[in-house]
Amino acid sequence: MALKTCARAIVCGIVVACATIASAQSVAVELDQSAGYSTEDVAAAHTKLRAFGEVLPAIRFNVTGTWGKQSEESDAFAAAYPYTDRPVVLDAYAERTFRPAGRLFGLRVGRYRTPFGISSESDQGYVGFQRNPLIRYDDFFALSSTFFEHGANVMFGAPRASLEASLGAPGDVGEHTRSTGLDTVLRGQIVAGAVIVGASYIDTRPHLPRAGADSASPFGAAGGEVEVEAREVAPGRATFGGIDVRWMRGGVQLRGEFIAGRPFDGARTRGGYVDLIVHRPFMGPITTALRAEQLTHTDAGVLMLQGERYTAATRVRLPHGFAAHVEIVHNSRALPERRATAVDMALSYSVRLE
Amino acid sequence: MSRGRVPFVVVALWSASAIFGSATARTFDLRGTVSAGGRPEPDAVVWLDAPDADGPRSDKPVVLDQRSLGFFPRVLAVRAGTTVDLPNNDRVFHNVFSFHDGKRFDLGVYPVGMTKQVRFDKPGLSRIFCNIHPNMAAYVKAVDSPYFAVSDRDGRFTIAAVPEGTYSYHAWRPGRQDLTGSAALNPDRLLALQWR
Repeated sequence: MALKTCARAIVCGIVVACATIASAQSVAVELDQSAGYSTEDVAAAHTKLRAFGEVLPAIRFNVTGTWGKQSEESDAFAAAYPYTDRPVVLDAYAERTFRPAGRLFGLRVGRYRTPFGISSESDQGYVGFQRNPLIRYDDFFALSSTFFEHGANVMFGAPRASLEASLGAPGDVGEHTRSTGLDTVLRGQIVAGAVIVGASYIDTRPHLPRAGADSASPFGAAGGEVEVEAREVAPGRATFGGIDVRWMRGGVQLRGEFIAGRPFDGARTRGGYVDLIVHRPFMGPITTALRAEQLTHTDAGVLMLQGERYTAATRVRLPHGFAAHVEIVHNSRALPERRATAVDMALSYSVRLE
Repeated sequence: MSRGRVPFVVVALWSASAIFGSATARTFDLRGTVSAGGRPEPDAVVWLDAPDADGPRSDKPVVLDQRSLGFFPRVLAVRAGTTVDLPNNDRVFHNVFSFHDGKRFDLGVYPVGMTKQVRFDKPGLSRIFCNIHPNMAAYVKAVDSPYFAVSDRDGRFTIAAVPEGTYSYHAWRPGRQDLTGSAALNPDRLLALQWR
């Protein structure tokens, strides 16, 4: 509790400091709005406000607030945003990057996304996919795109080979959150020609349903009893290792991420995805993407969840900050509470004020 | 004339040309202003027609920086044939591309600290975007001249080392037709360009 209070105080301090200092510096404010409908009978709307810039010549800040609402809980349209039906702060950090003699050293302090694998909001949310990968949705006992850290993140190395370490406490948003405690994330990355390879490791606390949100359990259970049950069956620590690979040339990107680990004592989750993202120059404002993914979760050696999903997605950048997104999702093996095939459609608008 | 004297004559003519040429081609820094609707116009590209001129040269790399989820500068003017560095100085990946009238390319994603290069080999306007961050946008205007500049936030510009003479001039800014005209330029002349 003390750690959480301390972390909140740090975040608030950074936000206030940024707001104060930034009034005389280079600051941009970005407003994103989106609305979507899925044939899974899910409608969603989302607003995001982000302030970022340089508070001093070399110190940058990023504060992002968001509000999102879905007609019912789903991973549809959740690639970049949580849908909490209340305003929440996502990022709130200050960072500085040093480049001594071609080396790289970066320090980030505050509240930031858990730097495991292909984790950036921009990596997941703006290339056409409207849904998180299965291994990034918090219903499926892997990791979640709504994981955040309160702490410090250090990156060092060189542009072609770097290491990143984060030490902090979980500060998740969304329906399923990790309990508080010390949280360690390590990540290494190598760039070789057109290939970028990363390896990540996380040692953290298991994530659990929030009280009153248990109807979202993938096992279909509901009610407060499940909260107790979940806490009983999610003891110990959560540890995951992962590898991510990107290759790109001439507007064609092939990328994938594979993770395996223990969401809590006695359980195993492993899975991954492969994306083909095509944006050749002749395609102009159109980006197309294909994804194949798989996830398996066992508890005490018993298969509890197994899913395979295939996605075809397109994003079209329209004039004046608008973008249209359409994707077709097909589940080849039963995922709980999912239709075999669904179509997601969304329209988004983004504007920046400087 | 014997064959042995030919090189001597060529060298002598070249030397004379260089000496007298440099004496007659007096250069100066051309200053001017750009406005639109009576207000100073920042980020306007101004250039003079001089496709065959050598012009001033610089060893400094031409950079279109990516930082704080933006391109800096937002309008970059280069001479056609210039190679531009596009470093990523953000801790997120960027994916720079251009698909409009000028240079067409997609650099793919690359991380912090890395630099990719693009050669703008023909005159024209290239609109630069990031395929990940929808609000990142910039213009690269490649011109067939060594004499060009981009106006500052007060609408002022300076074109360095312009030889005195009469030139056709051009001005471009996002969303407007090019301004063109002709003027005799000398150190006493302030070039004032105006969109109505």
